Amino acid sequence: MATLSIKGVRKSFGSVEVLKNIDIDLEDGGFLVLLGPSGCGKSTLLSIIAGLESSSGGDIVIGERNVNDVHPKDRNIAMVFQSYALYPTMSVRRNIGFGLEMRKVDPQTRESEVNKAAEMLQIEHLLDRKPGQLSGGQRQRVAMGRAIVRDPDLFLFDEPLSNLDAKLRVEMRTEIKRLHDRLGTTVVYVTHDQIEAMTLGTRVAVMKGGVIQQLAEPQTIYEKPANMFVAGFIGSPTMNFLAGRLERADGGLVLSHGDAALPLTELTQDAGAYVGKQVVAGIRPETLHPGSGGSTLTGTVDVVEPTGPDTMVILNVGGQMLTARVGSRDRPKLGEAMTLSVDTAAINLFDPDSGDRI
Amino acid sequence: MTIRFDRRSMLKLGGGALAASALLPRTAFAQSTSINYWHTFTSQSEQAGLDSVMALFKAAHPDISVTPENIPNPEFMAKITAAVVSGSRPNVTMVSSERFRDLLAMGALVDMTDRVASWERRSDFDNSRFDSISLDGKVYGVPGFAFVDWMYYRKDWFDEAGIAVPTTWAELRDAAIKRSDPAKGRYGFGLRGGPGGQNIIINMMEAFGSPVLHADGSIGLDRDKAIAAVDFFAGLLVKDGAAPPSAANDGFRQIIEGFQTGQTAMIYHHTGSYQDIASKLKPGVEFGTMAIPAGPGARVARLAYAYNTITKEEGADAAWEWIKFWGEPDAAVAFLEKTGYFPASTVAAQDQRIIGNPMYAAAADTLAFGIPQPSFPGAAGWAESSVLPNFQRVLIGEATAEQAVDDMIAGLAEAIA
Amino acid sequence: MSRAAYPPPRTIWDGINPIRMIGELSETRYWMYLLLLPSAMLITAVVLYPTVYGMQMSFREMRLNRPDLGTDWVLFKHYARMLADPIFWTSLRNTAVWVTSSIALEFLIGLIAALALNRNLPGTKLLAVLILLPYFLPNVVAGHMWALMLDPRMGVINDLLVKTGLLVGYKAWFADPATAMAAAIIVETWHSFPFFTLLIMAGLKGIPADLYKAADIDGAGALAQLRLITLPMLKTIIAAAVILRVIGLVNSPDLLLILTSGGPGRSTQVLSLYAFQMAYKDFNFGYAGALSVVMFVLLMLFAWAYIRLSKVNQD
Repeated sequence: MATLSIKGVRKSFGSVEVLKNIDIDLEDGGFLVLLGPSGCGKSTLLSIIAGLESSSGGDIVIGERNVNDVHPKDRNIAMVFQSYALYPTMSVRRNIGFGLEMRKVDPQTRESEVNKAAEMLQIEHLLDRKPGQLSGGQRQRVAMGRAIVRDPDLFLFDEPLSNLDAKLRVEMRTEIKRLHDRLGTTVVYVTHDQIEAMTLGTRVAVMKGGVIQQLAEPQTIYEKPANMFVAGFIGSPTMNFLAGRLERADGGLVLSHGDAALPLTELTQDAGAYVGKQVVAGIRPETLHPGSGGSTLTGTVDVVEPTGPDTMVILNVGGQMLTARVGSRDRPKLGEAMTLSVDTAAINLFDPDSGDRI
Repeated sequence: MTIRFDRRSMLKLGGGALAASALLPRTAFAQSTSINYWHTFTSQSEQAGLDSVMALFKAAHPDISVTPENIPNPEFMAKITAAVVSGSRPNVTMVSSERFRDLLAMGALVDMTDRVASWERRSDFDNSRFDSISLDGKVYGVPGFAFVDWMYYRKDWFDEAGIAVPTTWAELRDAAIKRSDPAKGRYGFGLRGGPGGQNIIINMMEAFGSPVLHADGSIGLDRDKAIAAVDFFAGLLVKDGAAPPSAANDGFRQIIEGFQTGQTAMIYHHTGSYQDIASKLKPGVEFGTMAIPAGPGARVARLAYAYNTITKEEGADAAWEWIKFWGEPDAAVAFLEKTGYFPASTVAAQDQRIIGNPMYAAAADTLAFGIPQPSFPGAAGWAESSVLPNFQRVLIGEATAEQAVDDMIAGLAEAIA
Repeated sequence: MSRAAYPPPRTIWDGINPIRMIGELSETRYWMYLLLLPSAMLITAVVLYPTVYGMQMSFREMRLNRPDLGTDWVLFKHYARMLADPIFWTSLRNTAVWVTSSIALEFLIGLIAALALNRNLPGTKLLAVLILLPYFLPNVVAGHMWALMLDPRMGVINDLLVKTGLLVGYKAWFADPATAMAAAIIVETWHSFPFFTLLIMAGLKGIPADLYKAADIDGAGALAQLRLITLPMLKTIIAAAVILRVIGLVNSPDLLLILTSGGPGRSTQVLSLYAFQMAYKDFNFGYAGALSVVMFVLLMLFAWAYIRLSKVNQD
């Protein structure tokens, strides 16, 4: 177990800069999720942490040790690949024990370590099979077994669940969480799936274009996204963006949008500087409730999408589409006018030009 | 000629598009007959000789076009066997005398007795010229040119050392030892122990009094005399050090190059390499020619002929014109001048261009005592797959002359069994 | 899903209409054999007939230049002769040396070349084409080329070796039984190693890069990666390449025919060359056929044993 510090790491391929000055500190036992769309540089960053790729600048420090010039095998890390990268010609037993075998661990110890890992992952009955004879989920477990058997300082996961079907993905996600809770090993986890990021991470770094957009606890990322990119990337259905002008009225601030004016009571942000200017309000669908209490918005029901536990209602509010997550029993009729009460405390305001949070 | 595309001809085309396409090019050469000619010429001088004969033939017979096809000697028997079996025979094939019996046995050759008998130039040829291509009174070919065995020697080196031209194999050995200086990479005799060397070894055994077969077809090899011959001949390398160490792998190209480059002082070949040698060394100054020396039993120099044979009934008349043409003195001398191969026709051999050239004297002498090569079914196979490898084993010290000769005799018994 | 039965004949014409009859036939289970018939006939004509013909030849007297002997059945005469034929045993031993040494060298060099070319460094594309060139040369051309290069009088290789002081004087490589086979093997290796390079390169492309990353992290060095990942994953391709090459080497006499003709003595005589000489020099097609059958059986045995031992058809 160890801390991880990424200090000013840069990476260029020729003239293309894929990582720009990345700084991250991760506490011992932390679970860092690198989240972003494909091409954001998250996998490259993971490879650099693993030592499989060299950086163009900056330092990687694992524990107290700067590992810039340390070979991957000497960084005391373990990695789980998206493709699992199991050795097809070796049995599961040998796959899991391969790292120990290469480190000249004596066969008895190796055997007991492999068994321990297999037991933890409930794959004891698969030990003598070849990877080709396993299902996707089983391979996934073997890949994790190979990682945990070595008891490394740092686990690296590179989109480990992407190749699984939806149901297995949820199961394995829980499994990973349980393993982390149990082993307490520091983890860096790459994914493009925001649910994985939210459920697993103690810290989430949202990346785009080689830059960290926001590095924070999952809840912070969700509730107080640093910019419109983060706000739009996290959450499903995505956050509603309502454009309007910020005005002062009745001693408070009002977002005027067409005919509607949304009083922004309990607004905690220091938004005074934006009075009289165009802003974008970010409103999570679940902060809109049917009813007329407090601040309200009224629109015409355009689409109704029941999902089971909730119902998504898409409304046309003054020409802009807003999604509201309402109770499963609320089934407004199409074309009907609907009034929603807005939890204004949960509203985020963004500068429409920079996209940054106000 | 034009092709009329009426319904009937279209049907014919449809019925045999392939046949039709094969016929089309020929319509361009109306009235002309094409024949193909399989030969084993390889060197540039041989090719030049063939070209000049073909040019003369074309002038004399514009109606016949000859397509020569070179068949490398090592592949010759395989190719002709395949052609005979598959029915894709050439019109005319060049056949060396040692292959005659094998080809006749497999039915490759067309009987030419009547054509030869009524040929106006038949009297130009000595009767014996046809011996190696006749069986049971039937003639299967016409000699195109002669291989006259002789030797080349470095006249300048012999003169310098005051060595006389050897007339016996014993003298040759002495001369070879005198002219050898392995430290300088010089050897007296270019021993051909590689491909093609088998015939010389057979000649040596006969020269030592041990012919291959008796006249009745029984084995004529005399063990002791054959051993003496092999011991003597291989001894030039293994005892006397008078032959290049590469002898066991030296074939035609190697012995010619060895002589041309000054590695060896004497080589055993026939007149066909004359122009190749003369292209590198000065005739009469740097090199001379001499008759094959006599052995203790006999003087054995082969007179072999390259026969032109008809190998396909179709187009036989045109084939016969081409075969006859090689007997024309002008063609024969033109060929000689490009290659060194002697005319098979006695009349052509009397041409002033030949008897007036002292370099050809040794060959002219050899015509008087030269003898044909032994020919019987299996002769070529035995020579190549038993005589040569067994002789090589002596050259590389893997067998004694006794063991080698015993194996050769056993191989011969098997071949004629 | 039930298939509609062929409609029953309604008119007399329907009963004799050939197209209709084919249609009816196509609904029966014999149809599939009928469809297989053309390819079965082709295989019979092209593969089976010649093979069987060659085999029956080995049980006959067949000397093309001795029609007087006829072509009677002689049962195992040729095979009995073979057992007592020292040249056969020499050829068999030489074949083993020739094939195993050539394959071992070709594989080793082919593997090294493939690994080097697989690194995608600049220039490797061009190099890959260059390295394949020898394989494009016909055996005959390669043979004559090397015969000249190794020539004891004017060969460049002798020249180089003497100039670099490795040799005192020019050596006649093919005239010395101690070096003839080795020299021929080197020529053969030069000529055919690109075959292995080509196939191994194709195989390397199929190995996921992640495996090497995982192995890097697991602490496997380059050699361990080669031994434990690359080679096992190339096993099938290597096995196929080896079998193809063994068949090629056992069956084709042309290179040795040009370089040594089996000499000096019998030091480079191999089975294929012996069979070739038996057929086309001695015209003994019966014995040549028997030699070919033995080669055929040996190759089958080899392929069977090799596939079993290398466990290619497992997993």
